[in-house]
Amino acid sequence: MRSVCRYSLAILLCGFSFLRLEAQCPKRPDAGTVVKDPLAVNSVNGVLTADFTMRHSVDNGGYNHYCINYDTDKGEVEAPTLRLHQGDRLILNLKDRIESDGDDSAGMEAMDMSNTPTCGDTGTPTLSSTNMHFHGLNVPPSCHQDDVLTTLLQPGKPPFQFNMQIPKDEPPGLYWYHPHVHGFVEFQVNGGAAGALIVEGMDKVRPEVTGLTERVFVIRQQYLVPWVPGPYQLTINYQDAASPSLPSPVINMKPNEKQFWRVVNATIQDFMPLQVWFNGKPQPLQLIALDGYPLAKPRNQDTVLVPPAGRAEFIVQAPPQNNEAIFISLGYSTGPTGNPDLEQQLARIDVSNDADEASTPQAPVQAKEAPQAAKSDDAEPAPSITISSLKFSGLRNLKPTAQRKVYFSEEFGGTNGPIQFYITVDGQKQKIFEPNEKPAITTHIGAVEDWTIENHALETHDFHIHQIHFMLLEVDGKPVKDQDLRDTYEIPFWEGPGHPYHSIKARFDFRGAIAGTFVFHCHILLHEDMGMMHKILVLPKDAPDPN
Amino acid sequence: MRGSLKSWLSRVTAALVGVCLAGGTAVGADNPHYVMTNDDVGGLFASGVTFYTVGTGGLLTVKKRVATSGKGIGGGYFAANRVSVLDSTNAECVYASDAATGDITGIVVKTLKIGGSANGSKNDTGASNGIGLAMNSQYLYASFTDSSNIGTFQAKPGCKLKFVSDITVGGLQGGIVDGMVIHGNTMVTTYGDGSIESFNISAGAPVANGDEQNSTGSRGGNVYPNGIDITKDGHYAIFGDTATSTIVEVSDISSGKLTPTVVYHLGDAISASNILLSPDETLLYVSNTQGDRVTAAFFDASTGVVSKGCVSGHLKGYVTGWSYLASLALENTTGTGGTVYVAEFGAPSSIGEIEVKSSGGKCSLTETSKSPVSDPNSPGLLSIGAFPPRPF
Repeated sequence: MRSVCRYSLAILLCGFSFLRLEAQCPKRPDAGTVVKDPLAVNSVNGVLTADFTMRHSVDNGGYNHYCINYDTDKGEVEAPTLRLHQGDRLILNLKDRIESDGDDSAGMEAMDMSNTPTCGDTGTPTLSSTNMHFHGLNVPPSCHQDDVLTTLLQPGKPPFQFNMQIPKDEPPGLYWYHPHVHGFVEFQVNGGAAGALIVEGMDKVRPEVTGLTERVFVIRQQYLVPWVPGPYQLTINYQDAASPSLPSPVINMKPNEKQFWRVVNATIQDFMPLQVWFNGKPQPLQLIALDGYPLAKPRNQDTVLVPPAGRAEFIVQAPPQNNEAIFISLGYSTGPTGNPDLEQQLARIDVSNDADEASTPQAPVQAKEAPQAAKSDDAEPAPSITISSLKFSGLRNLKPTAQRKVYFSEEFGGTNGPIQFYITVDGQKQKIFEPNEKPAITTHIGAVEDWTIENHALETHDFHIHQIHFMLLEVDGKPVKDQDLRDTYEIPFWEGPGHPYHSIKARFDFRGAIAGTFVFHCHILLHEDMGMMHKILVLPKDAPDPN
Repeated sequence: MRGSLKSWLSRVTAALVGVCLAGGTAVGADNPHYVMTNDDVGGLFASGVTFYTVGTGGLLTVKKRVATSGKGIGGGYFAANRVSVLDSTNAECVYASDAATGDITGIVVKTLKIGGSANGSKNDTGASNGIGLAMNSQYLYASFTDSSNIGTFQAKPGCKLKFVSDITVGGLQGGIVDGMVIHGNTMVTTYGDGSIESFNISAGAPVANGDEQNSTGSRGGNVYPNGIDITKDGHYAIFGDTATSTIVEVSDISSGKLTPTVVYHLGDAISASNILLSPDETLLYVSNTQGDRVTAAFFDASTGVVSKGCVSGHLKGYVTGWSYLASLALENTTGTGGTVYVAEFGAPSSIGEIEVKSSGGKCSLTETSKSPVSDPNSPGLLSIGAFPPRPF
């Protein structure tokens, strides 16, 4: 898959082939309206059971919508927030009802899926195929849980059931879900197929949030011109954030009110330095958690950089009445060959004593009552939560069992392509991801590894590993003060010969129940789709390496 | 890596400024000596070709910008060279392609006026990545990188062209035509998937020689041939690879067909998508397209063997002024070619000037003090050429 040109052609062809589709996705909010939280679906008696349907349509403006629909008694709503507790069971029945009358694989080279075990439906992955990745959850990479390598759903087939237990020591915080069929991730996420998932209990670990109104904001991206890849525009909870071209979305707050904002960067490629402004300057944000992991101590920052797929949870205090405030993503340089991430106002903050609408824009719903069999031992009360009881705690004190170096690089045959995107384990050959490839890294349960991740490319990349968080140790060779647990992290572009490569060093914890094969990749989704990804195999302790 | 509205606007603005700056008058010359750029201007403005006179020490000075009949795209494949030169006893012409509009314009060198232009068939498009050109005294060949077609045009008096025919070509894995070069009756092409192919052009239109193959270097999966040159005697085809280091490959084509390539690793400078042999064939110049250097390798024309030579320092303006290096041109038509010119892709673009010294098995490449020369007319320079051209 060398040619971006062909990739773009696929977008064009597929886009036009869908033009006559009738609406399958719910109408999205009008510009300039109050931003409402996604519908929240709560677990009941330790179980959250939900039925999702993946659909696709094209709106009046020509935009491709991919939607994860959830049925309520008032009709289908899009991408609800799933809310569970530690130890709860998530049972998600997902149907693929993406309709298409075009050649979904147009412009894409067929992937060789032979020798790849199949979970779900058989067949070749296409733009109408789907699956689901539970980004950040520390659950096993196995069929019916968080497996993107073999899980494939095809349109029209019976529902596929995801069934997993949230670990009892899962960090309380903000996660998210999105499709992850290699080669087609960007299409579906760019079309809006993404939602938030919250593991409850943040107030137990970070009491600063107790009693605060909570807001969930999912920032997504869509093409500015429906059929032309790049430039893009952002949306906040599906409302266009294109001020001043369009009226700004509105967030309601009361004067001086503190709110707990939980923000998902569900864009396909946008690095977002977030700020809240009033009185002509950025205001301190009290940062509570990053990538779903509570900070050891809250910290005040004017800017919170959230890379694509990252999450930030922070407390915002509204200004006094009669002040204007805005929620903004600053511009971010991704390098000479990167995408321009332009400054964009995400919302205007309306400060008023009448801002009741802000609190509960949509009343949360309880998930369907779980079948008796599903309740099992999951329903027992979770133990009290402290930072030290969370998964990965104490990691900084462990001695690594291995050191590795991984690097991003790119090859350009022209300014527009063909482009090759690589992520390479040092010492191995650069190659793009193939579904049938052997794992680039093999390790064992119990291992604790320090990885140095460099960027040799002229654009910023966004490292992500499935299944686990990693502890940030160093940036550009210097120890960091805050050793945050992350699952996604930006590595700036190389300034060119004569300059050192930017890098991070992080500690990876393979002590959990994550035996199996999963992936690490760049979370700029075009790059992932084009092969900037490889497999890691985690074997049971003491198991021989089959490779 | 995507284009952006912002960069497009800045390029258009740069182009407009350049048009104003370069608005001179046509000047004839008995012994014209030019370096030319395909300005590749897209958007609202016509594209064009900017002619630079070559002064003492190889210094370039803008002579005139000749507007072409179409529009460019401000980018594309490195190895699809969009300037081609005809220098025969009957005609002195510079041809340039306009990627967006698909036309090829002929410019009379003596007057710097347009002689004519032509389009291929309705199937011939290169609007995403450009239209490469190569020619002999009778025919001009155009590689359309969207439709992956090669068009054949007959060179007519007055730098006019007449479209003859086109064929669709493609790599073994479906790659699109990328580099293209001709020598005598042979045309050699590269594709974006690592494969290479040769054609017989003795009758005008290319006829495949049946030797399409994956290059040796590409079999590892992480490099692929891009730019091409052919030795004066037609014995060897040399390929510059797109890679994360400097790699070239050489195929013996003395039989009239490609043979498996021999791979040469020449250092760590990034990529080798554009290459050019010196007139005396002792040096192979390599544009490290994804970096900020130019490499010169020693070449043995009798054996086809390439060996390490020298690498320039970091050229001025990388990242701050331009982001890629692209095609190469030479000051002179003898010896090692004098000053080496390299296209620097930026908005606006520039042309790097590199002084070459080579003797006793050693060489050096040094950027001149006045380099780079600003190229205000081009919002995305990839292709340059020289008149008179290298004699093979």
